[in-house]
Amino acid sequence: MSLEQLNPTRFEEIIYDNGDPCLVIFSRKTCHVCKEVVPVLEDLQPKYEGKFGFYYVDVEDEKALFQRFSLKGVPQILFFNEGEYQGKMAGLVEDDKVEEKISEVLGA
Amino acid sequence: MENYDLVIIGGGPAGLTSAIYGGRSKLKTLLINKGTIGGMVDTTREIVNYPGYVETTGPDLMKDFHEHAKSFGVDFLREEVLSVDFSQEEKVIKTKKGKEIAAKAVIIACGSAPRMLNIPGESRLRGNGLAYCATCDAEFFEGEHVVVVGSGDQAIEEGMYIAKFASKVTVIVLHDEGTLDCNKVSAERAACHPKMNFIWNSTVSEILGEDNVEAVKIKNIKTGESYDFPCQGVFLFVGMVPATGFLKDSGLAMDKRGYIPVNELMETNLEGVYAAGDNRVKYLRQVVTSAGDGATAAVAAGRYIDELNSFNAEVLQSDKKVALLFFNAMVDESLAFSTLLEELNSEMDSKYKVVKVDLATKKSMANKYSIQAAPAVVILDQGKEVKRLECSMDKESIKAQL
Repeated sequence: MSLEQLNPTRFEEIIYDNGDPCLVIFSRKTCHVCKEVVPVLEDLQPKYEGKFGFYYVDVEDEKALFQRFSLKGVPQILFFNEGEYQGKMAGLVEDDKVEEKISEVLGA
Repeated sequence: MENYDLVIIGGGPAGLTSAIYGGRSKLKTLLINKGTIGGMVDTTREIVNYPGYVETTGPDLMKDFHEHAKSFGVDFLREEVLSVDFSQEEKVIKTKKGKEIAAKAVIIACGSAPRMLNIPGESRLRGNGLAYCATCDAEFFEGEHVVVVGSGDQAIEEGMYIAKFASKVTVIVLHDEGTLDCNKVSAERAACHPKMNFIWNSTVSEILGEDNVEAVKIKNIKTGESYDFPCQGVFLFVGMVPATGFLKDSGLAMDKRGYIPVNELMETNLEGVYAAGDNRVKYLRQVVTSAGDGATAAVAAGRYIDELNSFNAEVLQSDKKVALLFFNAMVDESLAFSTLLEELNSEMDSKYKVVKVDLATKKSMANKYSIQAAPAVVILDQGKEVKRLECSMDKESIKAQL
């Protein structure tokens, strides 16, 4: 299942208004590392249905969003819970590392 | 377990070409690829030396290769291969998600990955100002000072691409002033580029910064002098390493850097296992040479599979009992024994079908029957082993056993 793509309005809603626990991958179409990481998240997503959100931001479409987090490069996975930033992972990451981080965020 | 004739590991130009040839010759073919189709070519913005394409991009060219392979009915699986078992005639491939796939022949075309420098700060600042892919990340350094490490084609060409966004690009070069490893055209263009600067005879020994890159430690290898050099971004282009780590315990021969040596047919030291493209020992690593490797490997694998199939038909499904004779062409005694056995058999009105197996080239066959030395004879009935002969040059003793 593909990840829901966020624009700034949806981003505000989900991360800050609802405060849902979730991750957001900042990615771009022309990045080969992103193309490896996005499927890893797509595979994990169903397992966390209703417990943890998985979202996608395209940095080419949403310049303002990546500038706001002063990101230096893609892919980056940012974690949020209750409207607060919980850390990030950069570059090529494996599924078990993402799962570790998710349980850390959910447990906190 | 799923069964295939041919399994290809890797989806770059070598793997995709093998898939095209495998699919076209009606082999049941599977290509396993862990990331995006196209491998490292997918990261190349501009390709101007692939015959038939005056100018194209890596992703576009690989899309054409992919479509071509699909048109011949090749199966694709997006998975990472975790380990392989090449010890038997039937090769088994295990994926990270626990899938097991059996193949008659395997082509290894898993290419290479960017080399890391393994210096302090490298893993910590990756993605926080330290990058390996200009196409992906150059834009994040708009108006900033970027350091590029390396002087090959990739370093210099990507450096100039980064200069479209960065205010200044400084290239750290190992060699004496004026010497770059890249092609001449790029070297000349870089030399007169207003934003490109060079620091010669130097390496980077550490990447510095709290949350983001703030500087690099540069070491002059001639004077030994070391100093901090402020910058906001670092791109490393310090060569490639073969992505063959998962083959470590497979018995496949590799050189000390992890490249796989092959012969003209792309055969490795293991029967039925081939290597093609950047992960093999070779002179020129380009799309066109990878495609060539892929074609050769697939054709060689196809012939091997044909032989295997005909062996199975001839020996395992033979109506007559089969005397499987393992011999070594280099040993006289072994050849003399072959003659003796053939002679005896014709005296017995060809009661057996004698099939000779050369120990030097049919290693997996020898393994299958646990044969250590020649001569050795295994008697098969309907494909099943019924007896092993005590081999000697005593004609009567052999006759009695038969």
